[in-house]
Amino acid sequence: MFQEGALSGLKVVELSDQISGQVAGSFCARLLGDAGADVVKVESLQGDPYRRTGPYPGGVPDPDWSGLFLYLNSNKRGVSLDIESPEGRAALLELVAASDFLVLGQNSLEVERLGLRREKLAVANPGLIVTTITPFGLTGPNSAYLGDDLIAISAGGMAYATPGIPDSVGDPDLEPPLRSNTNMAGYLAGVQGAMASVAALLSRTIQGTGCEIDLSMQEAVAAVMPFELAHASYHEAKPRKPEVFGVMPNAYLPCQDGYVVVMAVMEAHWRNLMDLADNPDWAELEVFSSGVERARNWDALEPLLLEWTMAHTGAEIAQLAQDRGIPCFPAYTVGQMVDSAHVTERGFMVDMQGPGGQKFKLPGYPVRLERTPWQLFRPAPKLGEHTSEVLGEWLGYSAEQLLKFGVGAR
Amino acid sequence: MNVLPLQGVRIADFGQIIAVPYTAQMLAWLGAEVVLIETEQRLTTRIWPPFAEAEPGVNRSGGFNMVNSGKMSCTLNLRDPDGVELARQIISVSDVVMENYSSGTMERMGLGYQDVRSLRPDVIYLSLGAFGRTGPMKDLVGFHSVINLFSGLASVTGHKGSHPRIMGGLFPDAFSGCYCVLALLEALYHRANTGEGQHIEVAMTEALATLLPEAVMEYTLDGTEPERVGNRHKEKAPHNVFPCQGEENWVAISVENDVQFQALANVAGNPGWADDPRFATSEARLKHQDELEPLIQQWTERLQVQEVVRGLQDAGVPAGPVLDSAQVLSDPHMIERGFVQFPGHSVVGARPLGAFPWAVDGGQPGVARSAPLFGEHNVKVLQELLQVPDAEFKRLVENGVIA
Repeated sequence: MFQEGALSGLKVVELSDQISGQVAGSFCARLLGDAGADVVKVESLQGDPYRRTGPYPGGVPDPDWSGLFLYLNSNKRGVSLDIESPEGRAALLELVAASDFLVLGQNSLEVERLGLRREKLAVANPGLIVTTITPFGLTGPNSAYLGDDLIAISAGGMAYATPGIPDSVGDPDLEPPLRSNTNMAGYLAGVQGAMASVAALLSRTIQGTGCEIDLSMQEAVAAVMPFELAHASYHEAKPRKPEVFGVMPNAYLPCQDGYVVVMAVMEAHWRNLMDLADNPDWAELEVFSSGVERARNWDALEPLLLEWTMAHTGAEIAQLAQDRGIPCFPAYTVGQMVDSAHVTERGFMVDMQGPGGQKFKLPGYPVRLERTPWQLFRPAPKLGEHTSEVLGEWLGYSAEQLLKFGVGAR
Repeated sequence: MNVLPLQGVRIADFGQIIAVPYTAQMLAWLGAEVVLIETEQRLTTRIWPPFAEAEPGVNRSGGFNMVNSGKMSCTLNLRDPDGVELARQIISVSDVVMENYSSGTMERMGLGYQDVRSLRPDVIYLSLGAFGRTGPMKDLVGFHSVINLFSGLASVTGHKGSHPRIMGGLFPDAFSGCYCVLALLEALYHRANTGEGQHIEVAMTEALATLLPEAVMEYTLDGTEPERVGNRHKEKAPHNVFPCQGEENWVAISVENDVQFQALANVAGNPGWADDPRFATSEARLKHQDELEPLIQQWTERLQVQEVVRGLQDAGVPAGPVLDSAQVLSDPHMIERGFVQFPGHSVVGARPLGAFPWAVDGGQPGVARSAPLFGEHNVKVLQELLQVPDAEFKRLVENGVIA
């Protein structure tokens, strides 16, 4: 029923922060599982913190049905161990010794405390690839700093840069830096961690040995802002105010039922836009005769364009403009995106069903690989669901050993 | 030195603007030989700001140079059949083809996946689109702002009671680019094991929607739309940015539990905050953020950003500076880690850029080299690689096929 994935046959052990939780390590390991690797998530006996954050299908907290946990941990098996006990730690180290990858989503102090640096682990397993994802990395003057998504988004430069072009509604200079209400830095570092892991796998096929990847969440954020960094690197101030944006309109404007981006920086687009606005007299004014002039005289142009946008809904503007190839679009709610014919027809969302039959959806995989397609091989594990199975299968633990273990095996 | 993983891999890069050029740049740094196919008739970032010292020029754009370093530039007129034929020849000796034109553009030039497979049966061919290559919106034009707005990301970004905001940093391009790099590395590994190439299709809107599992789940359970909450968090308080001494200086503080809050109160010289019933527990602090935040601000605004960060971090409280782009590139921590690299450039000189966000065994995993000048590698690619004879090369230059 399932096809082989690109990483089928490879083994991954994931250990993420069991106190604070960390999206990055969990998402990184999930992505490797998405590509077919056999991923074993090691949790404490209490379980991963995201088992307790919801949302829950029936509204009732249930560690096996927390939405964020379900999302971050599909395509994995779950092992529950007390890694602070000698038996638990021994089992963890044996799993790591049998694995191709160890993914650690921790802060750097915890990585050191756990003694899970590759130097030590490679003695038993020279092919091992250790991927650590920490707030500020394992080296450098700030390596001991603690951090979460807000700290990474801020220290990586993204908060300062938001709102971004062309969002100048209000006065950006007076607004504090802004984060989106998502675990953005975590997902970002997760994708980059998976990328780094597969790159290391390709290196391993050439040189025969694994390596240690030291990924910093601060840098994960800074690395996705080449355009912002270019402004600083090339000594040209970043425009935050529309009148200095070179060519206009590239604007984010209110409309009848919300907000809309109106982008017509090319002359053909501008003429088409003016056609849509019934070619008002002011369209012929010298002060609006080119993109540069329109930028220079934006204070005069903005209220005139507003008259047009406020006379239409966002959907009307997008329809009219896109029919003529002008990139305009309204702000969608999450619901509008989920329910759109486009997302539905592409089958992007994954249908889920809760313990009481509640139907809901989660985002699917944004990449379609023709030969090695993404598959939901298995849903996220219940706490300790595969402890006996994995310790038996990977390490050959006997039933007796498992009993002695008291591993919370089900 | 770690072996560069993509040595011996050749890539034909038809990337436009940021997303695919950024993807191919990472692959170039990882050792691939990337041929960027540029068309003089449709230049984008090369003729857009920012320019070095604000002086325009096709080799002076930071927007271009910082997503195309380490590549070779080959300038072909793809509106001329001879230009398309040269592009086909480049593809025939390439392992990977990548493009993010509008849907259908490559096919109209005869360079679509099906065409290319006949040249190179094991090719890995990546197409990235704002909305992807299928579905009713596949032909819509969309830059980063449109993708922010459609994906729902804007609807969870913004201040309480205010409108949806657009993320900075052309985020959709680079985030989609990361998914593309991952997919291409997986496809190369699969090809090494099986000999099979494949087609890869990515929708930028879907990449962004992967950030929103809780919002999608809540909406589909009972129709609840997420609220915008500024920098606040559903479980942590305080969790915000606070102004420090001077203009535009901010510190981010995120307190996760009561122990950390007690530590913050001590560092701020107000140990009593932790005994105040409004602030003693996480639950109480979440309810009384409007009262708590101004108190913290009164403390932070008297101090330098780094004083607050060090004080809190030394006490075990997560905190960090809010850095702008110039501060990112001059950050001693990231410079020491090797994140900030200075590849040379014959026109604009060595300028800092952000390289890989990870180290491998203590060093950068790849090598950031200079960005190509416009058409710099025409001879190398067309004459040395494709063996176009001198006379033919001359004719193609004269006819404007090679710019």
